[in-house]
Amino acid sequence: MGRIIGIDLGTTYSLVAYTEPETGRPRCLPDEEGRTLVPSVVSLEESGAVVVGWPARERLLRQPERTVYSVKRLMGRGRADVADELKLFPFRVAPGSESVIQIDLGGKVFTPPEVSAFVLRELKRRAEKFFGEEVTRAVITVPAYFNDAQRQATKDAGRIAGLEVERLVNEPTAASLAYGLDKHQRALIAVYDFGGGTFDISILRLEEGLFKVQSTNGDTHLGGDDIDNLLLEKVRAEIRTRFQVEVADDADRYQVLREAVIAAKHELSEKEHAPLRFALDGPSASFPSTPLRAGRASRGEYVRELTRAEFESWIAPIIERTLAPCRMALKDAGVKPEQIDEVVLVGGSTRIPLVRRRVQELFGRQPHTELNPDEVVALGAALQARILEGGLKDMLLLDVTPLSLGIETMGGAVAKIIPRNATIPASAAEMFTTYADKQTGVEIHVVQGERELVRDCRSLARFTLRVPPQPAGLPRVEVKFLIDANGILSVTARDLRTGEERSVEVKPSYGLTDDEVESMILESIEHAEADFAAVQLLGARNEAETILRATARALTEEQARELSGDERRQIESARAALEAALRTDDYKLIRQRLDELNQATHHLAELLMDTAVQTALKGKRADEVKL
Amino acid sequence: MKKSGAGVLLACWECRGALAGVPPAANHFCDQCGKVQPLGGEADYFSFFRLPRRLGLDPAQLEKQFHDLSWKLHPDRFHQAGDYERSLSLERTAVLNDAYRTLRDPVSRVEYLLRLEGVRKDGEVKQQAPADLLEEVFELNEYLEELRAAKSAGGDARALDDLRHRLEKTRAAFQEKLDAVLAELTAQFSAWDERGDRAALVRLSEILNRHSYIRNLVRNVTEELES
Repeated sequence: MGRIIGIDLGTTYSLVAYTEPETGRPRCLPDEEGRTLVPSVVSLEESGAVVVGWPARERLLRQPERTVYSVKRLMGRGRADVADELKLFPFRVAPGSESVIQIDLGGKVFTPPEVSAFVLRELKRRAEKFFGEEVTRAVITVPAYFNDAQRQATKDAGRIAGLEVERLVNEPTAASLAYGLDKHQRALIAVYDFGGGTFDISILRLEEGLFKVQSTNGDTHLGGDDIDNLLLEKVRAEIRTRFQVEVADDADRYQVLREAVIAAKHELSEKEHAPLRFALDGPSASFPSTPLRAGRASRGEYVRELTRAEFESWIAPIIERTLAPCRMALKDAGVKPEQIDEVVLVGGSTRIPLVRRRVQELFGRQPHTELNPDEVVALGAALQARILEGGLKDMLLLDVTPLSLGIETMGGAVAKIIPRNATIPASAAEMFTTYADKQTGVEIHVVQGERELVRDCRSLARFTLRVPPQPAGLPRVEVKFLIDANGILSVTARDLRTGEERSVEVKPSYGLTDDEVESMILESIEHAEADFAAVQLLGARNEAETILRATARALTEEQARELSGDERRQIESARAALEAALRTDDYKLIRQRLDELNQATHHLAELLMDTAVQTALKGKRADEVKL
Repeated sequence: MKKSGAGVLLACWECRGALAGVPPAANHFCDQCGKVQPLGGEADYFSFFRLPRRLGLDPAQLEKQFHDLSWKLHPDRFHQAGDYERSLSLERTAVLNDAYRTLRDPVSRVEYLLRLEGVRKDGEVKQQAPADLLEEVFELNEYLEELRAAKSAGGDARALDDLRHRLEKTRAAFQEKLDAVLAELTAQFSAWDERGDRAALVRLSEILNRHSYIRNLVRNVTEELES
């Protein structure tokens, strides 16, 4: 059946991991540079090629209008849901996005599952490179508080990427698996998972390898992103007052400012102060690796020192918003904070000291932080993947559904049929009949949520149950609702008079139909070739630009005078040839010209003892060279 | 065993070996080849756990059975199995979870039994205030109205606090009643369990109505106080 990989498809970063069958130990797969994280950023080149991960993140500064991040926030949602997000994120939503959002990326339109599929395919490739064989099966993690539509959208993303999603696992639950808590102990565990875009709290009971989720709660729109947006807002306002400049008007500069506040945020997790410098007129966006140089600035530079105390006073309300779900989860689990034996922190935002303090205060104990909070979810996904492969027979996860499932009754009220925190798989059967003679259809509206009125809950699906025309009240159709181990709903109907059973075609209120997903898979296959070329092109370009700059600088050095006129002419012509090649999209040509320039500068490199330049000319990776 | 449908004889879908002695719902596996077996129609939660239809049960024993069956039946354990057996594992685990959720809680256990025994119909709950509570309920509703009015008028903090305090006290009083009703409920268990007394079922149904009425009341007040 082939191996199953574990994937953490995060708001900010994604990772892929696997479990070594021999040792039962999970590990994340790194790229050539040793990085396990893949930024969940996708950029569309003018050529139509798709760039993912670190190079796409770089493009966020250069080509913000062709680049998209934090798309997880849009999964399984409609236009009306995301009105607030759209004010804060540079998502360009195309018209006609009522039930599935369409994101405009450089003139082309993509749904959130398609964008996520690009990230998944990058992870799939990484795994394939590692194993040297095709990988087609994955366990993907989702926030525990994701509703049915958000889960379905994640599953669709997998299919589009060519991955059979063998299981969706809740992120906090996955983390608890990975945490290496002694499987034989009996313990009550709280997992506090505060990531880039989502917050989850889960209370689990661990008994001899059985991980039983007691309750879960959270907010699928609360995360590090919100802290970034808040900081950005504060700083933007200060700049406006001090310089009468609206940074947000310049998309490029605004992205640079975002990066700056994020860097300050990270620094404040380690230190008491962080400097914040931002040149109002920055360098041209086409040189992303150039640090901000204020030399040419005409409007000045915003300089400020941010203290941790100030930072904490700003973000305290956001951290506070995580505590209500914690209390809810404790209440639903029927436990008091002091009964919790272990507290586990997951997600990059739990590096913030204020978060750690508040969690410690709430549960009255020191939380676990031993594992890298960025990797722990992916490691758990890999363990679950191994369980599904038939290994790790001494571990089993029993998870729950985060939201109650209900159906609409008379007057827009909701009849709950499966309560929240019910262990999944879970099911419920309901009997339906007709109100009028010869009625041939019964409308059924399925919702998710805790409120009593349909309009306050999340619409999952509407469908019409076909019934034979009979006197009112005579037909008896039993409809069975099943939430599977992924937390995804399916519906079947059985006519109790005829015994006839059939599956019910459910049109999701927010999501893609099977046919739509099918057509996206085909499209992405056509794209695959172009994507490969795009990544190659990007690498070659970056390297070429580095070599060109290094060469230009080397030629001004003292030692360069020792070059013969002939050698100099050869270098100049190789430079010109490479520059010409750079104006095309042909990565093979760029590579060829790059090699030629490398050869032409061979003697020059020998002449120079400047090690940095020498390594650059010998074709080391571009980003290792300091210019 | 009460109405267990004993004597049903079926054959395993895989090895055709006989499955006997228990209702199909409790035939989780084939004794001979070990394959998961289909539920065979409507599963009765009591017989799923091979329990008699009694209200008194040992929660620790039920939990242990739930754990044992989870280890054996969960879809994770059948991920590499054939499609049919996988679907059986999913179906059976869903019922296992539904059954455990229903039976472990005394109130839902009584509700379920009353439905099985035909004493109550689906979704049939009387929402009338019990006569002896009318006065207190009236008072509670008055407080609630006052609090809502005060909140929307943005009234002064002291008056609000005072109202909250009064509501808090009333809620505590109703919570006590709720506990008493629960005790009353469990006190009726033996009449059914030992004598099969159907009149006890009717009494249980009445107590249940009272219980759900007070429970909703407490829930509403809690919501109003916390919002």
